[in-house]
Amino acid sequence: MLDCGMHMGYNDDRRFPDFSYITRNGRLTDFLDCVIISHFHLDHCGALPYFSEMVGYDGPIYMTHPTQAICPILLEDYRKIAVDKKGEANFFTSQMIKDCMKKVVAVHLHQTVQVDDELEIKAYYAGHVLGAAMFQIKVGSESVVYTGDYNMTPDRHLGAAWIDKCRPNLLITESTYATTIRDSKRCRERDFLKKVHETVERGGKVLIPVFALGRAQELCILLETFWERMNLKAPIYFSTGLTEKANHYYKLFITWTNQKIRKTFVQRNMFEFKHIKAFDRAFTDNPGPMVVFATPGMLHAGQSLQIFRKWAGNEKNMVIMPGYCVQGTVGHKILSGQRKLEMEGRQLEVKMQVEYMSFSAHADAKGIMQLVRQAEPEAVLLVHGEAKKMEFLKQKIEQEFRVSCYMPANGETVTLPTSPSIPVGISLGLLKREMVQGLLPNTKKPRLLHGTLIMKDNNFRLVSSEQALKELGLAEHQLRFTCRVHLHDPRKEQEMALRVYSHLKSILKDHCVQHLPDGSVTVESILVQAAAHSEDPNTKVLLVSWTYQDEELGSYLTSLLKKGLPQAPS
Amino acid sequence: MAPTVRSAWIQGLHSLAQHPGALGFLADLGAVDRLLTLQGDPSLFVVTAAGQLLVHVLGLALHNCGPPCGPPLDPQWPLLASSLLAQLEEALQPASTPQLLQALGVLTNAFTSCPAPWAPALWGRLRPAMTCLLEGQPLQAPHALGDLLLAVARSPEVVVDLGPWEMLALVLGRLEPSQGGQLALGVLQLPECPQALRAQAFGVLLQPLTCVLSTSTDAPGLQELPPSAVGGSASLDLLLASRSACVGLLCCALARLALLPPLPWRPSPWPQAFLLGAVVAVLRSCNGHVPISAAGGRLCAALVGCERVQRAALDLLGALAQDAGPPELVLEVCGVLLEHVDSPDSSPTVLKKAFQASLTWLPHADKKPHPCGLQVPAQLFLPELLQVLRKRLCSPSWEVRDSGLEFLTQAASLWAGQADFRQMLQASEVPPLARQLLRDPESYVRASAVIAVGQLSSGGLWAHPGDQQGSPLEGLLDMLDTDPDAFPRRAILQVLTAWLRDTHGPLAAHPEPLLARAFQAAGRDPDWEVRARGLELAREFLVQTLGRIGVPCPYVPTPLLDTPPADTQALHPACRTRLFEFVFPALFDYDRPVARAACELLLLLRAQTTTCATPPQAGDTPDPATVEAALHCWRTGEAGRPLGELVPQAVLAVLQALDLDDLRGTLADGSDHAEKSPLSLLQDMLAAAGAQGHNQVDCY
Repeated sequence: MLDCGMHMGYNDDRRFPDFSYITRNGRLTDFLDCVIISHFHLDHCGALPYFSEMVGYDGPIYMTHPTQAICPILLEDYRKIAVDKKGEANFFTSQMIKDCMKKVVAVHLHQTVQVDDELEIKAYYAGHVLGAAMFQIKVGSESVVYTGDYNMTPDRHLGAAWIDKCRPNLLITESTYATTIRDSKRCRERDFLKKVHETVERGGKVLIPVFALGRAQELCILLETFWERMNLKAPIYFSTGLTEKANHYYKLFITWTNQKIRKTFVQRNMFEFKHIKAFDRAFTDNPGPMVVFATPGMLHAGQSLQIFRKWAGNEKNMVIMPGYCVQGTVGHKILSGQRKLEMEGRQLEVKMQVEYMSFSAHADAKGIMQLVRQAEPEAVLLVHGEAKKMEFLKQKIEQEFRVSCYMPANGETVTLPTSPSIPVGISLGLLKREMVQGLLPNTKKPRLLHGTLIMKDNNFRLVSSEQALKELGLAEHQLRFTCRVHLHDPRKEQEMALRVYSHLKSILKDHCVQHLPDGSVTVESILVQAAAHSEDPNTKVLLVSWTYQDEELGSYLTSLLKKGLPQAPS
Repeated sequence: MAPTVRSAWIQGLHSLAQHPGALGFLADLGAVDRLLTLQGDPSLFVVTAAGQLLVHVLGLALHNCGPPCGPPLDPQWPLLASSLLAQLEEALQPASTPQLLQALGVLTNAFTSCPAPWAPALWGRLRPAMTCLLEGQPLQAPHALGDLLLAVARSPEVVVDLGPWEMLALVLGRLEPSQGGQLALGVLQLPECPQALRAQAFGVLLQPLTCVLSTSTDAPGLQELPPSAVGGSASLDLLLASRSACVGLLCCALARLALLPPLPWRPSPWPQAFLLGAVVAVLRSCNGHVPISAAGGRLCAALVGCERVQRAALDLLGALAQDAGPPELVLEVCGVLLEHVDSPDSSPTVLKKAFQASLTWLPHADKKPHPCGLQVPAQLFLPELLQVLRKRLCSPSWEVRDSGLEFLTQAASLWAGQADFRQMLQASEVPPLARQLLRDPESYVRASAVIAVGQLSSGGLWAHPGDQQGSPLEGLLDMLDTDPDAFPRRAILQVLTAWLRDTHGPLAAHPEPLLARAFQAAGRDPDWEVRARGLELAREFLVQTLGRIGVPCPYVPTPLLDTPPADTQALHPACRTRLFEFVFPALFDYDRPVARAACELLLLLRAQTTTCATPPQAGDTPDPATVEAALHCWRTGEAGRPLGELVPQAVLAVLQALDLDDLRGTLADGSDHAEKSPLSLLQDMLAAAGAQGHNQVDCY
């Protein structure tokens, strides 16, 4: 199973996938060899503890090392919000998250991991967020690549996705920005810095609601370097407890970040911030400008909502929403332009500026095409996008790469024809026999080879039929086909046989046609005998019999005789 | 039309079909025919939704017309139900595989939801088609057919008829051993079932294990088995055909068998010795012990190092612990468990299961209690197990250290009273190691170490309880102040609460200074669950100082007390621990569960103190303005203490000034209740309509 995410827009049963579609009877573990998680975002891993600890999947879960480290933090964050916000009792617990994480097997990039005898997986760098990976899944000679979310252009802290020319049978790719060619990320960053700077300069406060990890670190680097360059003094704060932990992981997994960060690491760790300090609840009322990164990212509970309530009434302040907000959250309301909100029984007028800035790191249409070019798949399947946009990209892929492209709706099945190449060992005896005929094996000139295919212990071997008989301890049997041909002819059987002989002799010039003393006619292994019809004396029956080896000739001869014999001179 | 539209159309119809009067309307419009067509839809969601609606329509049609009239097995069917069933019956043809599967699915669900009096009639109607289907060669859709027969067999009105049992036996007999497991389990899970069928089904589940045991020279308990369980060499060949087939078949059989021991109607006689022998043989093969026979070698080659089989086998072993077994087998079980706990090749998940199974086996290992306390096998194996545990607690893998600590906690809670266990544990190096793990780099492990240390302290399981090294209390309180992760801090408060409840625990003497530190740390903790656990500790302390506060019941305004109301003097210990400096601000915590817990605690306290026997003296009580200023401070999270150090009189004044009932009402709503209101939804829709065009969504 590729990824195990949740839907951020729902608070009921619909937030997790309905796993009963996999099986209604029996254990999930018997139906799935493994689960592969591409990265730590909740729409890709949010249902994992539910799946493994509540639904009962008991098999292995594969993810990269950074994902393994960060995933439980986000799951815990999410759990706390669900329980805090709704007081939900039937939700996964911290213990379940821990038990789920114990089932995780961490993988390195480009390491081939053997899941079982048949299945192997390999991770490739995907950019997007720390630890994000694309996975190649291989069974025998057939393979699928699943991209998860990826980014083909490097950003401030991560590199670009990369995959080798692995020519999978199918590439399953995300298509969030299927029709978009994204503007330069630098422009968006400049815009962000300008807005923060202007607000701080006029003495306002900036609130940036974020999730614990990912986007937050990118923005922190951005502000830190800008503050350094401009020599700004206004304090920048980050929700307590999260900075240390998050930054710890970014330091730990420095090899997963981009080249620039890795290079400068020797002189200075980019994640050891000079200007960004831990936030305390009491700072909210401090006079003067400040910038605060607070969780959660959609302004639906906790610290970010608390600060928002306090600052919303002042037009000098600003809130910057750097990510998606689901319907029903305060974040969604203010982004859709609502300025009067009801909170805790009171009316709150939002006078502060509200900005939305997308920093999401997905491949755009150009990037997706680039990945398809890089991997050279036989077919492409689009997921994680909007149908209309996918339709456009599908056409583009089919035109440019001449491969089939699919975009199934949820719940739809796609069947892909493949031609798996199955390696077959050939016995030395058979090979020598072929070589005696002067033909050396040549991969460029495939040719027909007769033998007996033996399937044993999951191995295929082609051997001579004699060897097969010997190996399997079988006796040889002759298989003969027989056929009766009825001809209307009043003449005697012997005369009939003679006519058959003459007819065949005249047609089958390259074959040895014989008329035997007992009256039978033979052509190679084919035997023809004439007999009288038991009920009709004017009808004669030709009994034709041939061996399996002469099947072609036997069939031909039968059809010939069925047409009748040429008229004898009277 | 997009599949989402088709799904939505079906959902719409489903809402409509809640009303009995809508049935005729739906039938007239041809909706039922359309739903039958949608059974062949390419979308799985559409197929499922259409099937569910058909079941609902059938159930509603039968329900509407009351109990069946006419002969019991051939009553007069309502028109809609009759036409729907006729179409489903038509699909029950051996040749029409996709339709057959869908029809069987609908009928299976129909049996579980149709009105009880109609079940025999439905079965009577379907029986000829089912008989015909069972005669087909090869048997079509055997699993779906089995599911339908099981649904029929679960219907108490039908089981008087022998039909479903005979058919179930027939299907079970025609399935390959690798295919029949799920149906066999279904049969065994039926509370009532003919003995012969039960034996047949049990035989199917046991067969793979019989093959396993047949590879070893000594096969215990084979004579206990039903004849259907003993497969020939053909079954063995099938099992050993390929590694993946062998692993798959064994895992399924082991997992299904693990579900049987708790059933009150599990097969009898229960072949405990055979099962134990087989599971031990499987686990040994996984660990590379090759049985002498050639087949045993092949089996071992297929199973060696296979985690999937190990996990399933250990689960079954754990489930089998509710019965004992022959002593020599119990010793073998303990041995194989020890082998798995000790083996460096055991993966963290296998190790965890081995620990869990060990916990279930050791205390029940022998029926005869040993005069010294622990039973004989436990006495033999526990020292070795503790030795291995010591090694495991030093593992480089956090999962292993954590599972080890969890095992230690549970073992300590189970056997703390056993003299032998105490002695063995104290003699081992395990307790000091657990204590060292309080400084583990992994937060999960530190949290488990806190719980383990808490349990060891409660049970008095330290080697030298008297010395300074004996009590870890100070260390835990330091951790509460300094640990960067929330899990260990939560665990510390959980342990402190447990200790406080325990009258002989480490907090029994002079708890106040220690609790003061705990409340102070909890009050400023950034994690709301730590603050909530702090409130639990506060509540426990109040219970002890004020006498027993009743069980919290939100519907009863006065506490369920038979103790007299507390007087202000009783509040002094709580005031000395500065409990109220923690609880009052928590009432305005921006994380709702904390505020709710604080509110409940104060409500209980108020109920306990409103009828306070000693009226406050003039001059003792702070003036309302100061109380109001204090409330403002707590509400806004500002610093400042207008009430100074909270004394009992000030606490009572604040309690009276607070409208706790109103606050409780507000806190009872989810924090998103305003956002979820129809007005809020309407505002969102209007705003969305106005903002069309710039609705760029950023999905992460």
